[in-house]
Amino acid sequence: MRPEILIMALVVGLANWCFRALPLRARLHELPPDSPLARFLGATGPAAIGTLFVASVLPYARSADSPRAICLLAGVGAVIAAFAACRSVVVATLSGAVAYGVAFWLLSPVA
Amino acid sequence: MPKPPSERELTGQDAATTTTPGREFLAGLYAALPIALGYLPIAFAFGVGARGVGLSVVEAFGLSLIIYSGGAQFLALALIGAGAPLLVQIFTLVAMGLRHLLYGPALLRGAGGDAARRHAWAWAWGLTDEVFGAALGRLARGGRFSEAFMFGLGLGAYAAWVSGTVAGAVAGSEALQGWPSFAAGLGFMLPALFLALLLSILSRAQLPVLAVAGAATVVVTLLWSGTAGLLAGMIAGAVAGVLQGTLLARKGDNAA
Repeated sequence: MRPEILIMALVVGLANWCFRALPLRARLHELPPDSPLARFLGATGPAAIGTLFVASVLPYARSADSPRAICLLAGVGAVIAAFAACRSVVVATLSGAVAYGVAFWLLSPVA
Repeated sequence: MPKPPSERELTGQDAATTTTPGREFLAGLYAALPIALGYLPIAFAFGVGARGVGLSVVEAFGLSLIIYSGGAQFLALALIGAGAPLLVQIFTLVAMGLRHLLYGPALLRGAGGDAARRHAWAWAWGLTDEVFGAALGRLARGGRFSEAFMFGLGLGAYAAWVSGTVAGAVAGSEALQGWPSFAAGLGFMLPALFLALLLSILSRAQLPVLAVAGAATVVVTLLWSGTAGLLAGMIAGAVAGVLQGTLLARKGDNAA
């Protein structure tokens, strides 16, 4: 394993463990909801996920390729529909990937 | 020989009889089944993607074993593939994991103030989005909280994630060359995962944070670079959240 990959994995893995385990010991659920730290922690997670979604979709949206845009719409629509139906991140993710793949297959002569 | 647990025990619907740690552990493994079935193809896609950006089987396995966070791992592939500096990778991936801060406290609130958490340092490692959802779901159905259940639940999901990664990495990126539609679907796994995570945390109060984060990401990406766009989006969104909370608090004080 290359050192830079190992270092990245160890730091991120340690941070993940801290985020998951330490609030259970530090009684973070008792932090006043209007404290600056609570606000920052509360906003950073949604901001990160929103940023990552926009960044991952941006290459698709910037593409002038209309079949790719149709595949994107199919994938996004499937994720929203599946999540609304069963409230599961895994099922919604798989549904979106399947819908994108099927749309790609249907449009493959022109995609 | 101990009696095997019943269906009601395994699903957490029979809180009165599910008492021994062994039964609770089995109930956790049983509850992990649907999560494992969902994790396997996503982890397989991660393994394939890891080989696609030049990682070895051991490196792909190591990322799943050490990081154990689907969103962060897929993003790591994008950052590695784009040649992002190590510090940018670490900052972005750590920020991605911040949402997990809220899972433990939320779970303890549902479990009751006197819930055991002696071994939380160990089972909390497996507290992913889906494991958190499954544990909270059991409590919502009237099931009891136990650390043995959390160990079973977390271990089942973790094993599926790591083994799926190895299978995908061994298959390699060439395995999909004859299957372009399948490869396209796997390629969309990352945006689909982020959108699903976004929907899972979406609330009216977070809309300003998401709007600011999204706008900053688009503008900075178009004007500068994708990596700068990621950092700008996260920082701008978090600052917007703090400002929003402060403004709402002041408005509340003025009204009072």
